[in-house]
Amino acid sequence: MGDILGLVGRRLGLGLIILLVISVIIFFMVELLPGDIAQAVLGQGATEENLRALRREMGLDQPAIVRYLDWLSGAVMFDFGNSIVTGESVARTISDRFMNTLFLAAYAAVIAVPVSIILGVIVALLRNSIFDRVANVVSLSFISSPEFFLGYILILYFAVNWGMFPAISSLSEGMSFLQLLERTFLPALTLVLVVMAHMMRMTRAAIINLLASPYIEMARLKGAPPWRVIVKHALPNAWAPIINVVALNLAYLITGVVLVEVVFVYPGIGQALVDAVSKRDFPVVQACCLIFAATFILLNLAADVGAILTNPRLRHPK
Amino acid sequence: MSWFVIGYYTLLLGGSCLAAYFNKRSAFLLLFSLTLVSFVLGIIGGTGALRAIAICAGVLALAAMVSYAFREFLIALVSDEMAKELRTAPLTAAFGMFVIFTYAIMGVFAPLIAPYGEAQVIASAFAPADSNMLLGADQLGRDMFSRIVYGTRNSVGLALSATLAAFFFGALAGLLAATKGGWFDQFMGRLADVIMSIPSLIFALLMLSIFGPQIIVIIIAVAIIYAPRVFRLTRAVAGNVVVMDYIEAAQLRGEGMWYLIRREILPNSTAPLVAEFGLEFCFVFLLVAGLSFLGLGIQPPTADWGSMVRENATLISFGDITPLIPAAAIALLTVGVNFVVDWMLFRSSGLKEK
Repeated sequence: MGDILGLVGRRLGLGLIILLVISVIIFFMVELLPGDIAQAVLGQGATEENLRALRREMGLDQPAIVRYLDWLSGAVMFDFGNSIVTGESVARTISDRFMNTLFLAAYAAVIAVPVSIILGVIVALLRNSIFDRVANVVSLSFISSPEFFLGYILILYFAVNWGMFPAISSLSEGMSFLQLLERTFLPALTLVLVVMAHMMRMTRAAIINLLASPYIEMARLKGAPPWRVIVKHALPNAWAPIINVVALNLAYLITGVVLVEVVFVYPGIGQALVDAVSKRDFPVVQACCLIFAATFILLNLAADVGAILTNPRLRHPK
Repeated sequence: MSWFVIGYYTLLLGGSCLAAYFNKRSAFLLLFSLTLVSFVLGIIGGTGALRAIAICAGVLALAAMVSYAFREFLIALVSDEMAKELRTAPLTAAFGMFVIFTYAIMGVFAPLIAPYGEAQVIASAFAPADSNMLLGADQLGRDMFSRIVYGTRNSVGLALSATLAAFFFGALAGLLAATKGGWFDQFMGRLADVIMSIPSLIFALLMLSIFGPQIIVIIIAVAIIYAPRVFRLTRAVAGNVVVMDYIEAAQLRGEGMWYLIRREILPNSTAPLVAEFGLEFCFVFLLVAGLSFLGLGIQPPTADWGSMVRENATLISFGDITPLIPAAAIALLTVGVNFVVDWMLFRSSGLKEK
């Protein structure tokens, strides 16, 4: 058990270092701005006094490294300073939206993960048949379509033509859980379609890659039926790549959510990020980017740890 | 029971019986399962659902015929050796090539094909389609069809130049890292790790929020985001080539590093790199389309597919599908390129199964 903890700890440390480097990139990129933030906020026509006052208020008169440490220590406590457009605390505006985004991603994941793994196993079982080819073409089309295309098609049919689900997922206080599920069904379905296609293809590939191994041949020769060969013999060894793919797709969900949130006007963090980018509200942009990057790294980390746990061979690197 | 429904089932059942009689197992399975699905859908959705299935099948058949004809056309056109390769191409790959060909024609000859200019206001806002305007007008009264045609040039051109930039830098760094090794290799590898652990859309949004949505910023941002992926693949492929005997022979001959890269390593790693270029193009194209959908891509009045979808999205709530056409155009091109890449990957390696 000890060496597993060591491996996981090492991966965790690496993740932390990468996160630190990313925070440096995110912070100092804004420094690259022609002029500085105060200039960007007040515009070209600002007087020298106004600029100086704003710089003092935002702490811009201090050296960048001091401000970075300040910002980082705040960020660790989930305090990202104030928005330069509205003046409100960034953490307060973002935290609710972040929970909404997590809810949407979790909703999509709960549907997509089991369905896509089961479908992947079925398609691997039926490989090279006409169904496999149809599934291949269909899933490839879903992967290749932009998220907003799928989203608008779902709106067109489910909301406008058939009137089954609301086209705009506005959330309000005191909605029952079922209502919440209904309101967010279309954005969740969009995410499910995109992610599921990818996971299904990877599950199929992971299983088919194993089918050439001698032990599968052995299982076939002793007369095990095809489904048993796949479910009992191939699947356990395919778990490591499958878990990897699942975690990567969950990470993808977190970012793919940006476009879907905009399509469905969903009050999530992606929407906040896009708004902040067009208003050039840098503290909000920095905070959102850091949160997205942290989630992304965390899920990648989970993928590695999952792979180590399910595949004992990875525990003893040569 | 209308004549359409009777004809529909007669055709399907007759087709499946014929397929079964001639021992075409897969065709029979497909036709008969389609019949069963139609039973269920027909009961739920009525004639409309059956009509939709028939239209889908018709479109699919049309696409298959077009791709078959296009493959034969290409085979007749190219040299013998290429023709032998092309004969093994599945219909999907031929379809992909046809799509790419069509888009290229549309992009190059846009001013000749489009009846109006891309920024020319010719009607009232959201005017319906008539004999003058094939697809009606957009939110400012510009001809939708002309804008879509011009959009081919702008959207695909931007994505293509961004991919080329990413590919150039990524491949160069990968080749250098593989031949030089040492600290350069280590440093570039770590740098690629860091860049790849930032979600691509988020990174692009960050860069655009700072430098503003200009074309050159988009190209540079995309190049920075996607170069690490190219770098990794190139490094891995070139790493396998570098250890070969003929490289050592060339080194002993006293050839310089530049010669090694250009004449020895690059020709031996083109196949995976070309496939990677196609894949990379799809990712970049989707990213750029997403950015322009968010209003951060090519700025108006230049026609661009992503922003066209967003600007005309209100029409969707009236059940009009015209705003979806540019989105479908994006999807069609990525699907086409993916089909071709799929075939190339299968040709060069293929999933291992006996």
